[in-house]
This record gives sequence, structure tokens and C-alpha cells, in this order.
Amino acid sequence: MKKKTIQIITHNLLLLVLAIIWLIPILWLVVTSFSSYPGINTSTFFPKEWSIINYKKLLFSADSVAQFPNWFKNTFIIAVFTCIISTCFVLMVAYATSCMRFKMRKPLMNLAVIINLFPGILSMIAVYFILKTLGLTNNHLGLILVYSASSGLGYLIAKGFFDTVPASLREAAYLDGATEFDIFLKIVMPMSRPIIVYTIISSFMVPWMDFVYAKIILNSGISSQWTVAIGLFNMLEKSLINNYFTQFCAGGVLVSIPISILFFIMQKFYVEGITGGAVKG
Amino acid sequence: MGKVKAGFHAFFKSIGGFFKDFGEAVVKGDLFVKLSLLWVGAGYARRKQFIKAILVTIIQVAVIAYTFGFAPEYVSKFATLGTVQQESVFNLQTMKNEFNDYDHSFLILLISVISFVIWFAWLLFYIRNTTAVYELQKRAKEGLHINTFIEDCKELLNQKFHITLLFLPVLGVIIFTIIPLLILILVAFTNYDQQHMPPSSLFTWTGLTNFINLFGGGGITVTFGYAFVRILAWTLVWAFFSTATTYIGGILLSLLINNKKTKAPKIWRLLFVITIAVPQFVSLLLVRNFFADGGIVNTFCANIGLTGWLRDIGLISTSYIPFLTAPIWAHIMIIFINIWVGVPYQMLIATGVLMNIPAEQLESARIDGANPRQIFWHITMPYMLFVTGPSLVTDFVKNINNFNVIYLLTANFFVTANQAMANSQAKETDLLVTWLFTLTQDYYNYKMASAIGIVVFVICSLFTLVAFNQMIKGDREEMFQ
Amino acid sequence: MRKFKKIAAVAVAAAMTLSLAACGSKTGTPSTTEKQDVTLTMWGAEEDQKMLQGMIDSFIAKYGDKANFNIQLGVESESTAKDVVLTDIEAAADVYAFASDQLPDLVNAGALLCIDDMDGALKSYAGKGVADVKAANASGSVDAASYNNKFYAFPMSADNGYFLYYDSKLVSAEDIKTWDSLLAAAGKAGKKVGMTFASGWYNASFFYGAGFTTGLNADGTTTIDFNGKSADGYTGVQVTKSMINIAANPAFMAIADGDISNQIAGGKLCAVVSGTWDATAAQAAFGDGYAATKLPTYTLEGKQVQQGSVAGFKLVGVNAYSKNAGWAALLAEWITNEENQKIRFTEREIGPSNIAAASSDAVAANIAISALAEQSAYGVVQLVGGKFWDPTATFGKSITDGKLKADDEAGIQKALDEMVTGVTSPVE
Repeated sequence: MKKKTIQIITHNLLLLVLAIIWLIPILWLVVTSFSSYPGINTSTFFPKEWSIINYKKLLFSADSVAQFPNWFKNTFIIAVFTCIISTCFVLMVAYATSCMRFKMRKPLMNLAVIINLFPGILSMIAVYFILKTLGLTNNHLGLILVYSASSGLGYLIAKGFFDTVPASLREAAYLDGATEFDIFLKIVMPMSRPIIVYTIISSFMVPWMDFVYAKIILNSGISSQWTVAIGLFNMLEKSLINNYFTQFCAGGVLVSIPISILFFIMQKFYVEGITGGAVKG
Repeated sequence: MGKVKAGFHAFFKSIGGFFKDFGEAVVKGDLFVKLSLLWVGAGYARRKQFIKAILVTIIQVAVIAYTFGFAPEYVSKFATLGTVQQESVFNLQTMKNEFNDYDHSFLILLISVISFVIWFAWLLFYIRNTTAVYELQKRAKEGLHINTFIEDCKELLNQKFHITLLFLPVLGVIIFTIIPLLILILVAFTNYDQQHMPPSSLFTWTGLTNFINLFGGGGITVTFGYAFVRILAWTLVWAFFSTATTYIGGILLSLLINNKKTKAPKIWRLLFVITIAVPQFVSLLLVRNFFADGGIVNTFCANIGLTGWLRDIGLISTSYIPFLTAPIWAHIMIIFINIWVGVPYQMLIATGVLMNIPAEQLESARIDGANPRQIFWHITMPYMLFVTGPSLVTDFVKNINNFNVIYLLTANFFVTANQAMANSQAKETDLLVTWLFTLTQDYYNYKMASAIGIVVFVICSLFTLVAFNQMIKGDREEMFQ
Repeated sequence: MRKFKKIAAVAVAAAMTLSLAACGSKTGTPSTTEKQDVTLTMWGAEEDQKMLQGMIDSFIAKYGDKANFNIQLGVESESTAKDVVLTDIEAAADVYAFASDQLPDLVNAGALLCIDDMDGALKSYAGKGVADVKAANASGSVDAASYNNKFYAFPMSADNGYFLYYDSKLVSAEDIKTWDSLLAAAGKAGKKVGMTFASGWYNASFFYGAGFTTGLNADGTTTIDFNGKSADGYTGVQVTKSMINIAANPAFMAIADGDISNQIAGGKLCAVVSGTWDATAAQAAFGDGYAATKLPTYTLEGKQVQQGSVAGFKLVGVNAYSKNAGWAALLAEWITNEENQKIRFTEREIGPSNIAAASSDAVAANIAISALAEQSAYGVVQLVGGKFWDPTATFGKSITDGKLKADDEAGIQKALDEMVTGVTSPVE
């Protein structure tokens, strides 16, 4: 019995050590965001003086460099719409490729594999000019389109999940006279909560993380239009970093709090979603 | 290989069938089918499908308007990509610059590609339309029911539901992924670079010159070929190690967390997952400052004497440990930092997959007296590989194109000490993607970036083809039956 | 047919070169009939936004009776302006500020309006011509704003250069005269002397001091003679050896480009080579001992040679694709005139390029700016192409990494040759 207790303790200790390794940079992020000195701290791990001034500045006294409330609002709106469109697209494509049979199914799926092999970053300049032709640069709609329009390509995991939905269920519904639309909406969707959650979380995160496309598309220099990512990234400019580094950290913390909470609540679905998809690949 | 061949065969057969149906429709169709070659709505109008006739007519009018109203101005210059250089004269009266009607090479390329795509789609639509109209004619002749518009709409929610589902997503992919890719593929055959940047200058077709230069042929002064080979090698090494380490790390971590001995696994999982929640541009830039030459870790290492010891045994020649600033150190550190970034994701996947291992298999193995290690190697791992094999391949491809990690850890930070690399604007830590990003962002060398992009694509597709074939050949089914 | 095409191509090319050469303008007098609506956008650094808005307001107050202005101010750092402008020139602001080293690339891409063409507009509205603008600003700044004998931007400030900050409590005014004595004093004090070597902007200072030159050809390629012999009779190998000796001194700290302010704040330094942007950081770190002066001399073949430097400027340019080029030029002139350069100095301590604004007592009393002025006697306007930076940064890095050894002259020569090959390679 005693041996078992020791085993349990060592086991959990091992986890603790790993968790500490994983959390040290995050911890550094958090403690630095509470530093009263605005630049990078190179000599000690913990700040010499603690303060919440960074959060105060970030949230309540926006200047031309830091307009966090505006950025947060912009990003949130973009994220919500991106999330809605992407989730719809992904689920639609996944259902069509998984549950229906039509002539172009295989060719389309092969094409998707091929397209995914190209380095996407290369086409940035072309995407920019397409948006410009459509008059959508410096426009949040343009950014939403960039993040969500091609999201159908990421259908594989969702398709894998739908593949696990027993075909007999659908066949029974057909016999009852249901249409494909009914089956999609009333039978398959309710069973697919995990994959919906998974898709929502992953597409919601995109606008918070992207600093490449946002920077090139929102290029008018009007900083109140920016997203959180480019706003924070901009604080690392050579001329700004020494006055804004800790605010940058504070911004990072503020962004990750909602996402962490989302993760914590949705953990179970997220894991089930990703798994169901990976099983059939 | 046989499967691929069969796929090709079926593909060409269906294309053949597509045109055969069209030919038959044209030859055997009645007056209205033939008339619908001119006015696409004719056949529908004849069968009293007036709404449908109007809709397709609108499409036809739109395509005609585009083709003759908008496209010619650009497409006609596709062969040269423009000849009229921008000129301007200042007019003091209006205080404005007056420009001539100059050509913008990139817009010509862009609009041309869009036009080609539209025309291609129109062609498909046109042929499809003709066969559909002929189909209607046959139905009418046999006295079969002809759908009303409402019935057609209902079909779109039932038998043809896939069209409804796929229309918007495919349109999105075409506009925002396929067209940009086609354009950039074409750019690889032009001289679009800093000397030929629209709108002030024009660029034009140069054939295969860029590829010849990339592989070291032709009299170029820069060492593109040299840099290319080294970066390619590191890209492959990186892709292999980053995929393998995070994959194995994720499995081990999830086994550790899902072990019965673990208290409160949910909390542990969350602790690791927090690293996903912090945007990479925040966490990685922090980590980079963490390991900077004058950063905290270096201060710490110097204080405990590690730096001095490393210098004594000759591993470093500087007064600090160049974690992210010397090639070999940086290569190793980047892979380690990527483990930090990637393992939590893999852990989540592995957690899900491991939950699904058939319990009776584990049970019977235990009864047979297998120890945990044997169970891991003989049951857990094979099962994982079986389930996640395909996603392993896509992970590898994703890592070849893993822009974020490398860019955030090394851009404006790592300076190469290799003159030949520097002369091609490359550095040892660059992947092919980050190199082409630097080439476009800092040096506007779009032609070389596109050429490199195509090479990346070829490598990825070769790898995918081989890997998938291996997997299909292997007796995957047998393993778990 | 083919022959015809060829002839046509030649004709087009000839017309192109002609049109490029003649950046002429229509003459005439401004119309006074009707007030135009003029919409302009302007980009400036983040920290300057409030000040720039004030300048825009005063511009509208001055010219408001000539046209209806709608001027929008945006954020774009001077150090990254080129990247954003060149991605899509037509979408860039009408008026934007940039560091002078970006000028060649901007001109080659056709992103800058030739200010010479605006002479008439300036004369009729601002009451001064291009010649007056040139005369009012330091000659170095005018050189930095000119390319192929044409004037492309208005000098805004003369602060983009470097000099030596030091802590006068730790090193004396005597110590800072030479690198040798400075490093010795720093070693004694247990502190370090910092400088960025891995950047062609900093490390060229040793070469410039020894009489080497860099330059720019009309096609955008860079000329550089660091691998040969200088006008003063030194070879590049000798200069490199001096640099290696400095870098090898234990009291020397090689700082990564962009990490300087951070290192100043770190507290390990007693002297550092940097520019006015680090004045606040240096003041905070050195406290009462805060002082600044010209760069020291260094030992070259047994003689003391004054270290050169890059005289950099911030310029304000007008977008060549501006819809209202004339008014954009007037706005650019306005925010860089004497009055506004004075405002820039009082509000943000930015050193003026305007001669009259620079001669005030307040400017002379500013420690950092007067040190920069002192160093500017040895400053060189560094007009180079985009291919200059990576190879020279790598060269500096191989010195501080210890890859180049002072006794390996052949190795140094090879590294220099390779660097020169990279720098002078054709623009693509």
C-alpha cells in the first residue's frame, strides 16, 4: 500500500515538474505584465517593483500607440463573424464529402489535398490585390473574408467525425421521408456537438493570432482599426519596445484569458471532436 | 500505385463522358436545344421553366458584359503584361499630377487569371446546360414529368443538396486560394522583382530563367543555389524532428496524464493547454527574449558558472551562450521550443485517440502477463500509428510550411555569420517559407519567392504521394482485426 | 513582323528613358477661381501623433482659404515606412516620413515625387522654392534627400546618427578619447563598452573613419571599396584587424541590433554607441554621470584614427501617386519648416536639420544632440542599396563571433571580398 502511495506521489511530481517547465514562460509573461518598469527585464525573473499600471494604461487610457479596447472590440467582431462563416463552411463541406455521394466528390477531395501543399504565405500579395480590386482593403469585412473564405479546405477533421455517425441512422430517416437537408440539420448536427465546438474554438482563435495578413490588409495606418495582434506586435517596434514591452505582455495576458476559459469549459468536446476526426483522418 | 492509376483513369473517363454527352446533345437536340447554344435560356423556356430561363440568362448576360466590357482591357495585354510605362506631369493649375494611361503588370496578370477562371467556369456551365436541356427534351418526348422551379429548389435540399452545401465554400476557396496560387505560379515565370515593380515599372515573361538561377545554372552572381540547398536540408531536418518530437511527446504526456495514478487530470491538462491559449506571437517573442544573448537565461547561466564551463570545454567562444544566435545552437533550441509549443496540441489528440483503444485488447494483454512497456510498444503505439498515420503526413507537410515558429524566433534576431548565405538574404535557421517571406517582404523579389514556392510544393507533393502509397500498401487493416 | 516588334520595343524603351530623365512640369499660374476639395493622408511615427495633429491644424489654419482640406493622420514608424509603402504604393499615404537610408529603394520603385517639379507650387503658395528649402537645411540632409542629382524629400530632422554615451562617474573625459583607454577604464570599473557590430549601419563607421567609401549607382546597385585600399592609404584588412582587437577586449560587449536600449537599461555598461533615441534610457541608467560625446579614435596600424559614423536623417516625402501632389508637397514642406522643427525639438527633443532651428541655445544645451553635432563632422551620408545590409551585418557578426582571427590576413581578405560581392550584386 505504501509503495503505491509513493508511486502516486512521484508520478504527480513528475507531472508537476513538466507543468512548471511548460508554465515558466507563461509565468514570466504574467509577472512581467505586472512590472512597473516598461522595458524588457533581463536581470531578474520577477519584476523589481510590482504594479498594475500596465493594465490600467491598456484598458483605460488609450494613446495613439495602445488602443487596446478598440483593438479588442475589432478583433472580437472579426472573430465572431469568422467563426460563424468558417464553422458553417467546414460543416457543410464535411457533410457533403462524408454523407453524400456524387461524381465530383473524389476529384474535389484530391484537389483540396493538393492545394493544402502550397505555402499559403506566398499568395498573400495576390490576396491583397484581389481584396483591393473588390474595394475591401482597410476593411474588417475583407479581413473576415480572408480568414473564413477558404476555411472549407480544413474540412478533414470534421469529415472524419461525420464518418463515425452510423449510416443506418440516416437510412432510417430517408425511409421516413426526410430530405438530406432535414438529416443534416436534425439528425447529424445534434450528434456533432464535439466537432462543432472544436471548429468554433479553432476558427475563433484565428483573428487573435494572425499578425501577417492583418498587417498587410489594414495598411492605412489608422491604428484604431487594427486588431489586437497587429496592435501588440507594433509595440515591439524598436522605438517603442522600451516603453511598451510590459504593456505588450499585459495585452498578451488579456487575450489569453478568454481563450483559456473557453478551453477549460469546452475541453471535453474539443478532445472528442479532434479525436473523432483523427480516427478516420 | 494501382489506386492512383485507377483514380486517373476514372477521372479522364468522366471528362470524356462529359464531352460525349455534350456532342450527343448538340447533334440530337431539337431546335431549342440548338438555340440554347446561343441563348442558354432557350431550352428551359421551351419546357416552360421560365424562372430558370431568366436566371441562366442573367448569368449569360453578366458573363458577356464582363467578357466584352471589362476583361479585354487587361486580357489583351496578357502576352506582354503591359507596354506603357507610367509617366506623369505636374499641373500647377490644378495642383495635381496628371498621369498617362499606364499599364499595371500585376493587375493585368490578376484580372487575366480571374478572367480565365470565369471563362473556364462558364465553359463548364455552358456544356452542362446544353446537356441538361437535351435531357429535358428527352423527358418531354417520353412524356415524363418535368420539374417546376419549386421542385428544382426542393431538389437542391435533397438529392442535389451537395451543390447547395459546396457552392459557397468552393467559391471562397477559388477566389481566396486558387486564384492567388495561380497568379503566384505565373509570377515564377516573370521578372517581377525590385527593378520591375508595378505601378512605376512593368514586368514581363522570362520563361524558366528563375528556376535555372535557383539551381545554380546561368551566370548569376548571388549564391541562390548554395543557400537553397542548405535551407532545403534544414527544412527537411526540421520537419522530421519537429513532427516526430511533438508526436511522441504528445503521446507520452497524454499517457502520463491519463494514468490512473494522476490526481485531477483535467487540471493538469488545462495547465499544459494554457500555452495554446497565449497567441504564438506573444509567447514565442517572449521565449526569444528569454533566451536572448543578454536575456535572463544567459544571466542565470553566467551566474551559476555554466557559461564559463561551456567556454572552458570549447563549446562556445563568446561570453554568453548563443541559444538563438549561432546556427547549431539555434537549430536545437528551435526544435526544443517547438516541443514546448506543439506537444499540448498532440497531447489533446492523443488523449482522444487513446480513450478509444478497445479495452478488451488491453485487458487480454494484461492477462497474458505483458508489462506496461510491452503494452505500449505492441498495442498502444501501433494503434496510435494506425489511427493517426494520415494526420502524421499532413503534420509533416504543415511543418515544412511552419512559418510562425521560425519567423517569430529568428526574424530580425538571428544574424548569419555565413557570407554566402547572407548574400542571398538567407540564414541558417530559415525554412524555405520564411526565406521566401523575407524575399518578398524585404527585397520584393517575388519572382524568386514564387519559384521557391513551387519547389516547396513539388517536394511536399512528392512526399505526400510516397507516404500515402506506403500507407495504402501496408496491411493496415489486418493489424487491428 | 518580328523586326517591327523589335523596333517598336526599342522605341518604347527610348521613350521610357526619355520620360524618366525628364521629370518636367507644366508651367502656369495657379487658378484662383474656385476652392478645391483636397483630401490628404499623412503617416508619422506613433510617438509623434499628437504633435503632428497640431502641425496639421496649423497647416489648415494657414492655407484654409486656398482649399477645403480634409487631412487624415495615420501611424507608420519611420523605420518601417518603406516596407509598407512598397507593398502597394498607390494605397500608401500622400505624405510620409521615413529614415534617409530608405530613399534609394523608394526612388527606384517610383514611390517618391520629385520635389524639383514642385518648385512652382511651393513658390506660389509657400513663398519659397526648392532652392530655399535646400539652403535652409544642413547640407548633409540635402545630400541624403537627393538621388541622381534630384531632390526627393524634405529633411525633417538630423537625429538619425550615433555617438558615444558614457557614465562620467566611471570613465573620465580623458578615457573617452580613444577606444583603448575607454576599454581599459571600463575594464577597471568592471563594466563594459557596448556597440552593435552586426549591422552595416554601425560597423561601417570604422571603415569610413579610415577613408573608405560606399555609394550608389543609378541602377540601384551599391559600390563599396572595403576590400581594397582607402584614400588614406589603409587596407580593409587593417581596419578589420583593429575591429577584431576591439571586439576581443573582454570589456567590449557586442550588442544585437535593436537590443541597445535594453542593454543600457540592463546596467552592465559604462559607455555605449547609440543615438538620440536612447537619450532617455541612457539618462536613466547613468543618472548624474550621464554624458555624451563624439565617438573615440581607434588604433589603426599604430596610429589613432577618428572613428567615422553615418549621418542619418529623417525625411518627409510625397507619394508619387498622390491625387493632390501639389498640396501634399506643401504639407510636407510645412511640417518640416523651421517653425515646426523647433516644435519637434521642444516637444520630443528631436534634433533639427534646419540650420536656423539647430542654432538655438536650447539645442546646444541638449547633451545628446550636441554630441551628435560634434560627431557629424566625421559623419558620412550613407546612400546604399538594399543589398548592403545583410552581407555587412554578417561581416560584423563574424568579427564578434570570433570567426575571423586577427592573425589570419588571408581569411579576413576573403571575408571582405565575399561581403563586397554580396553588397555589389545586381538588384533583383
